[in-house]
Order: sequence, then structure tokens, then C-alpha cells
Amino acid sequence: MNKPERLDLLQGTLDLLILRTLKSGTSHGQAIAKHIQQTSEDLLQVETGSLYPALHRLEAKGWISASWELSEKGKRARYYRLTALGRKQLGSEQSKWQAFSRAIGLILNSDTEGAQ
Amino acid sequence: MTSFFRKLAWLGRRKQKEAELEEEIRFHLEEDAEERRLSGLSPEGAHREAGRSLGNTAILREDTRAAWGWIWLEQLLQDLRYALRSMLANKTFTALAMLSLALGIGANTAIFSFMDAIMFRSLPVPHPETLVTLGEHLQKASFHGSNRHDVGFKDETGAGAVNGIFPYAAFQLLQQQNTVFSTVFGFQGTGPLHLMMNRHAAMADGEFVSGNYFEGLGVIPAAGRMIATTDDRADSAGVAVISFDWSQTHFGGAENAIGQPISVNNRPFTVIGVTPPEFFGADPGAFPEIFISLHAKMLLGDARGGAGQAADMFENPDIDWVVAMARLRPGVTATQATAATAGPFSTWERSVSARRKREIGAFLARESSGGIDGVRRYYSRPLFILLFLVGLILAIATANIANLLLARSAARKREMAVRLSIGAGRSRIIRQLLTESVLLSSAGGLLGLAFANWGVGFLTLLMGAGNDRFTFRANLNWHVLATTAGLSLATGVLFGLAPAIQATGSDVMPALKDSPNAGSRRRWFGFLNLRRTLIVTQIVLATLVLVTTGLFVRTLSKLESIRLGFNPDNLLTFTIDARKAGHVDPEIFSFYNGLQTKFSSIPGVHSIGLSDEALIDGGTSGGSVGFPGQPIQEWKGSSILTIGPGFLKTMQIPLVEGRDFDEHDGPQTPRSVLINETFARKFFGQENPIDRRLVIRARCPDPIPCGGKRFVDNEVIVIGVSADTRYGRITVDAPPILFLHYMQNSWGPVDAMTYELRWSGREAGVVREVQKIVAEADPRVPVGQVKTQTTLIEGTIQQQVTFARLCTIFAFLALTIACVGLYGTTSYAIERRTNEIGIRMALGAQRGRVMRMILSEVFVLVIVGIAVGLPIARATTRLVASFLYDVKPGDPLAITAAVGTLAAAALVAAYLPSRRASRIDPMITLRHE
Repeated sequence: MNKPERLDLLQGTLDLLILRTLKSGTSHGQAIAKHIQQTSEDLLQVETGSLYPALHRLEAKGWISASWELSEKGKRARYYRLTALGRKQLGSEQSKWQAFSRAIGLILNSDTEGAQ
Repeated sequence: MTSFFRKLAWLGRRKQKEAELEEEIRFHLEEDAEERRLSGLSPEGAHREAGRSLGNTAILREDTRAAWGWIWLEQLLQDLRYALRSMLANKTFTALAMLSLALGIGANTAIFSFMDAIMFRSLPVPHPETLVTLGEHLQKASFHGSNRHDVGFKDETGAGAVNGIFPYAAFQLLQQQNTVFSTVFGFQGTGPLHLMMNRHAAMADGEFVSGNYFEGLGVIPAAGRMIATTDDRADSAGVAVISFDWSQTHFGGAENAIGQPISVNNRPFTVIGVTPPEFFGADPGAFPEIFISLHAKMLLGDARGGAGQAADMFENPDIDWVVAMARLRPGVTATQATAATAGPFSTWERSVSARRKREIGAFLARESSGGIDGVRRYYSRPLFILLFLVGLILAIATANIANLLLARSAARKREMAVRLSIGAGRSRIIRQLLTESVLLSSAGGLLGLAFANWGVGFLTLLMGAGNDRFTFRANLNWHVLATTAGLSLATGVLFGLAPAIQATGSDVMPALKDSPNAGSRRRWFGFLNLRRTLIVTQIVLATLVLVTTGLFVRTLSKLESIRLGFNPDNLLTFTIDARKAGHVDPEIFSFYNGLQTKFSSIPGVHSIGLSDEALIDGGTSGGSVGFPGQPIQEWKGSSILTIGPGFLKTMQIPLVEGRDFDEHDGPQTPRSVLINETFARKFFGQENPIDRRLVIRARCPDPIPCGGKRFVDNEVIVIGVSADTRYGRITVDAPPILFLHYMQNSWGPVDAMTYELRWSGREAGVVREVQKIVAEADPRVPVGQVKTQTTLIEGTIQQQVTFARLCTIFAFLALTIACVGLYGTTSYAIERRTNEIGIRMALGAQRGRVMRMILSEVFVLVIVGIAVGLPIARATTRLVASFLYDVKPGDPLAITAAVGTLAAAALVAAYLPSRRASRIDPMITLRHE
């Protein structure tokens, strides 16, 4: 099976992806990683080595909170949920990111047109 | 903020957080493996894959902990734990390092706390920074008038001087300069006063103060009121303010003292106030117990002068006696005040210049937040010298520990290499090594504080010896503690940094290989150079300390071997002032004589003499002497001592010619004198002085019987010649001395008398007997200044004694620390070279040869150190030249002794480990390799 070429995560984008993933509901670490990977059609691979430090950092900032709950299979897991502060943060991060990617897109597109 | 508190809360549940993270990771692994198994992998394969995808869990944990925000604390605790463990693992090293540091830091702290107390402390009054001391600068150094405060001193050039006392009229003029000064107040010491309260008599120093003295200083009374301007007039009643201590010991409390009668030199006064406990006046060198107004001088009069003399003090513009200080007005500087006052002052001086015998000075106001600065001037040079010496000791200790650490860090090379190779950052390792050295130095500093506490007590004893007025209480306050903490930290970083950098600079691979020598071979020379430099540095510094010590010890031994001309051992002295207690002529003679007879019955007392002052206590009296019928000569170095029968015998001063005073001499017999050999030589040359006549110019107690003159010329007859003795100070050759009889008033009436008791047995017993006898004779008369003659002598050479004793201790410290370093580094070097030595011995080298090889290597370092140190010592010891007696800074004996001691100590330090080297068994060492 040919693996698709993986993209390296940009600095700081992991926080945004985690917040976005948690917007749709509570989740544990492994599920968050899987969700990011699947939703990005395997283009983005979350390094577990940076996922947990990031989760704990976000928790320290108060953007997400954690609690121990039982998973679907009945095992104890640490579930993360978005806090009100985190939701606000997600909003501003998201619009910042969108503005950024639109700007990049504009430049890239104008470049192609200019060449024609 | 909330984030901070969250982290703080987590800090409290560290164990739980760790366990949770552990569980979280485990869950992740299981979940991942489960999914991989579902997608078709074998259970083991799934588990392996999941683990691989999770990566290095150690790093993950570390990073997550970092997110919790107390990684620094954790690492610090880790470092501290590790440092403690490694300190405990090397107990000898730790103990030696801590001890040498503690001694170094302790000595520095002790000396610094004295500097803090003497040099930098302000007067305990509000706004001390606005205080100035007034004076005048004179082109030619000369001091007139009577003064008990140390306010006159030579200027930097040595030719001119600053005079700090004014005639009363000048003081009044200064008080009018109110544009720059808000208050100008004056004072002067009273000397010993006879005080009597509640039928208890005592002698104490007091202070004459102007009416605005307390107001000017801003003193708030502990009880009652302070002396006011209305109390300082010629017709004011006698009022006194007493010190807080005095109110406690004599009246049982400040409030109780108010309104109490107190007799001062037998005149009635009333206590009106008590000063606060911390107040000691404006001179840190004097601690008056009682304050009376300047004009109280008129009430007290003077035993030799009388009231007329006292009035003269206020009228005669030629008598300098008032010490003047002032408060600057807000915004006015001392320089501005000097400029504004110089004009009016010199105008006044010119107006009275006809009566004033000396040059007209330039007015000077000096900033004086610490009050009169005489004590500061006296102690500043010695304290800086001592601080320099203890600084050297701390430097030796620091170099020493750096060296030992270097040796140890070389031994820990492999440990460091292992840690570096498994991923520890260099900065992290440096941090850890620094934690170790700072922990070591902090422990040393703490122990040093204990030494300092002890050292301060010891120094107080030493510096105050024979000096009643030494009342500086140095204590370990916060600036002293801050200095100690700073010193510990700085030395820790200093001696820790070099080895830390060295340790992390090593290559990982060679150090990891089996042979401990392989890795360091390349660096051996560079390495040794730093260590050699450190050893040489220690020797250089030790040479400095030892040479200085040699000079001071030689000075003390020179001082102690001075031929005094009398026997100072087993001689008890004390002073009795019957005059101030109310005794008058001629009854006072029989009182003093009766005491002498009674003292002779004390068991253990062999003989008793008395004189108007002790032969050696720092001071002398001198007068004008001449031949009858010839114009009297101005004082030409003739000293006068008033004595009684038994003085020469008790002091064991031989009589050369004629006879001594005996019981037949007295008020009714012709005035007779004894002279010493120098006097005989100077005044009579080769002629026989016995029965020759001399004239002494004496002060007249009252001008009326003297025909209105201040002086009267008394003719005396020479009855004997004594051998020469030192007088006043032991370092000055015998002056010409004239011994008068105390009952004959040849030089004016006597007041206080000092008794000399030659005794054997216990001192305390004799003192008790003396006090009992005096109390029975007259309870109003206290016994003062009970001291042995040797203590009095030590008081006059107190700086030299202090230097010699302290330096001996310092030298011992320096030597010990340097030798410990030498021993440590030598034995370490031998350990490293065990193989080399083993091979040499296997190839036939003799044991003696091996020892010589090692000893000669150490000795090269010692010789280089001494060779560098001696010229430096030559140059720096010139700074202490003024404290030496009969010894030059380049004294060959002092230098030889210093070098010899250093070399001998170094030899011992190097010999011990080298002997071990010579016992190396070549077979064992080679097999070990």
C-alpha cells in the first residue's frame, strides 16, 4: 500500500486542529489524533510525541478541560472538552487562519494569472 | 493569572498528575494497538507498531511535564538532590571545602560587620544627612585649646590641619549664620565627673552641651525634657540629662529619674530628662552618661582653676574649646554653607587677632551624617588592611576549591560523557555542576556566619582591649547578611564555573572508552596549566599574607622587648578622685596617705605607690622649668609626674643618686623633686644635680593670692636621681622627667591619684579588698579604672597587638587552606599517574627517585609562587609601614620566616602523597591497566 506523502504541521496549527476537533464534542487523545488524520485524508499525521504536551498546554491555558470518563468499550479514558474560553479562542484562531490561507491563495493565484 | 494558579494547583498534585499521564499513555497505546489488530495485524505486531508510532515516551513525558509549567523546579530539586548525594559521597572533600570556605567567608563577614558599624553607620537621629561638622582649615598643623573629642586632624598634605574647636565667641558668631544653617549647636566632653545619686557614688564621662544641642540633633526624650536654651545661661540652675542606661542602673527606670537630685563634682544638680536608649551623643567614640549645659562649667569650676578660670572660657577669644555642628537648611549643601560663612568668620578672626596667637584659618563645613569622625579616621586604615587580608584568604580558599573541583571533574569525566551521550544538554550539565558548587558555597557561607558571629565577639575583645571607650557593637544586620550571601554565591559560581565548562567541553567518545587516561591524554597539558596556575596563585597570595604577618609579629616582639625601665608585671593600678568627691587641701593629703597605709595591710600586697597618673597609659604632662634668677624657659620637653613615697620602689625604678621621697617629706617641708637621668644630663650636664635648685611655673588656682597673675613660680630642690623609664607611651625614648611630691603643690594642687599595687595572688581578691577599704574610708569616693599595668601598656600599642594577633590567625588559615589544596592536587596527580609511576618502577626507578620527581614538580610551583609573591609583597607591605615599629617593610627576617614557613608547610603537604606514590607496586598497577 502506497502511503500518501505526509505534510508537516505548521508551528501552532496543532493547537487549532485540536480545538476544532473538540468543537464537535468531547474526545480522548487517541481519538483526537485519529480524527485529525482521517479528516485530513491521511495527509496530516499527528505526532503523538507532540499531541499530549499540546493537550496539557491547552489545558494549562484553560482553553480545554479534562475529566476521566468511560470510553465506549468501558475503559477509563481522559476526555477533553472545549471550554467557553477555548471556544472564543477557536473563533479567533480560525478566522486568523482563514485570512492567512486566503492571503496565501490570492498570492498564489495572482501569480499563475500573471504568468499566462 | 488563572493559568499560573492552575499550574500552582497542579504542583500540589504532582504524584497524581504523573500517574494520570501514565494511564493516559497506556490507554492510547492499547486503543491504538486494538485498532491495528482490527485492521489485521497480529497482537504482537499491533502492539509493536503502536509503540513505534507513539515514539520515545521518555521525551513525551518530559515535554508534557514541561507543559505543566514546573520543569525548572523539578530540575532544581533533581540537581539539589544529586548535588547533596555527590557531596555526601565525597565527605572529606566536602568537609575540607566547606571548612576553608566557612573560614574565608566568616573572616570577611566579621571584618565587614566592623566596617559597617564603624565606617558606614549614621547617627541614630532624624535626617542625619543634613548634619555638618564645623571647623577651620589651617596652613600649619598646630592644635591649641582643650579638647576631648577627636575633631582635629592633619590634612592630606600632612602640613596643614583641620581644627574642630572654636572659642565661645566664634561659636556664637556661627549661630548667627542662619541663612545656611537652621541650628548651630556646640558641645565638649567633661572628662571624668564625680556623680552621686541615691547615696551611691560613681565616676562617669559627661558632655557639656549648648542649649540647642538636643533640638539641633532632633532627640526625643525617653522621659522628662531635654536641656533648653534657658538652661544654658551663666545664671541658670544646675540641670542634667542622663543616659537611658544610667537611668536604669541608678534610678530603676527613666521615669523615676526625673526630678531626682544628683551631685556633679559635689555641686547640686537636678535630673530633668533621660535620652533615648540608642542615643550616645554626636561622637561615636564617646559615650557620655550625663549631659549638662555649656555654662554648667561655671557651676563646676575646676580643681586647679576655679570659677574665675571657667568664666574665662566664655570671654577669652583665645581659648578654643567648643566643638560645633550644624543642621543645613533644606537644599543647602556643605560647600554652599562653607562659602557663605567663610566671610563673616574671617572678619571675626581678624577683629580678635590681636589676642589670638595663631594664624587665621579658612572656615570649613564638612558633611557628618555619622557624627564626629575621629573614630572613623582612627580605624579606617587598619580595617581596610584587615579587609584586604581576609579578602586574600577568601581568594586562596576559592582558588583551592576550584582546583579540587577541577581534579574531581576530571575524575567525573566519564560520568559527564555518559550523561552527554544519553542526551543531556550541555547547559543542563553546567547548571547542575553550578548547583553543586553553589550548594557547597552556601553551606560554607552558613557555617561562615557562625564563625563570623564568634569572630565579631573576638574582634570586639581584641580591638577594645585596654580602651574603655571602645563601645562599637558590630552585629550581623541585614547588609552584613546580604554581603555574606553575595560572597557565598559569587565564590560558588567562581569556583564552579571553570570545572563545569571544562567538564562539558570534553569529547564524549574517548572518555567513554575503557581507559580513563585515553580521553584526557590530549588535554593533559592544557588541563594542568589551569591547575598549576591556580596553585601558583594560592602560593602567591599566601606569600602576601605570610610576609605581612611576619612584619606585624616582628613589630609586636620588638614592642614587647622594649626596656621600659620598670617592672610592669603583677602591678595593679586604679584611680581615686577624692577632690571631686569634696576633699580639700590639706585634708586630702592625709586621706590619700591613709589609704596607702591601709592598702599595705591587704594580704599579698608587697608595696604601694601613688602618682597623679599611671606611668604608662598613653598620656603625659609637661610644664615649664628653669633655674632660679634666670628667665623661665618655655616648655622644652620636660615631663612632670607627681608621685608619693613608695612609687619608685613599687615600680622597681632604681635610684641612681641621692634619696627617694620618704614619710618625712610633706606639705610643711621644703619643696623637693626627683629627676631622672635624662633630665640630669639635659639640665646639669656633668655637674652633680643633688641639692641644686629649679623653678617650676605652676598655674595659680585663683589669681588673687598670686598678685593677679595666672601663674606662680615655685622653687624646688633636687634630692635624688632615678634611672630612666619610658613615660606615656612605650615607643618614645625616656623624656626628661621631674618627679614632684603630691603633698607639696609644686605644680598646682593634685586632684585624682592613681595607686600602684605590687601584689601576688588572685587579682579579684585584691580588688575586692581595695574597694572595701575605700568605701570604709569615704563612701562618696569611687574606685575607678582598675587595670593591670600590662593591660594599660597593651592599650597604648593596641593596633599593633590586634594586627599581630589577627594576622597570626590569618596566616595560619592561609597556610592551612593552601596546603590542603597542595595536598589534594598532588595526591590526585599521583593517582592519575599511577601507571606511569608503575612503569618507571618496573623499569628500575628507585623509590627515592620517584619521590624526588614528584616533590620537585610541586616545588617548582611553590618556588614560582614565592618568586612572584615576594616582589608583590614588597610593594604592598609599604601600605602598612605606618603600623610597624622598628621594622621596615622589607625586613629580611620577616621575609625569611614567611618563606621558610611556607616552604616547610608545602613540603609536608607534598611529602605525604608522594610517599604513597613511592609505595606503588608496579605489578599491581600494570595488571590494573
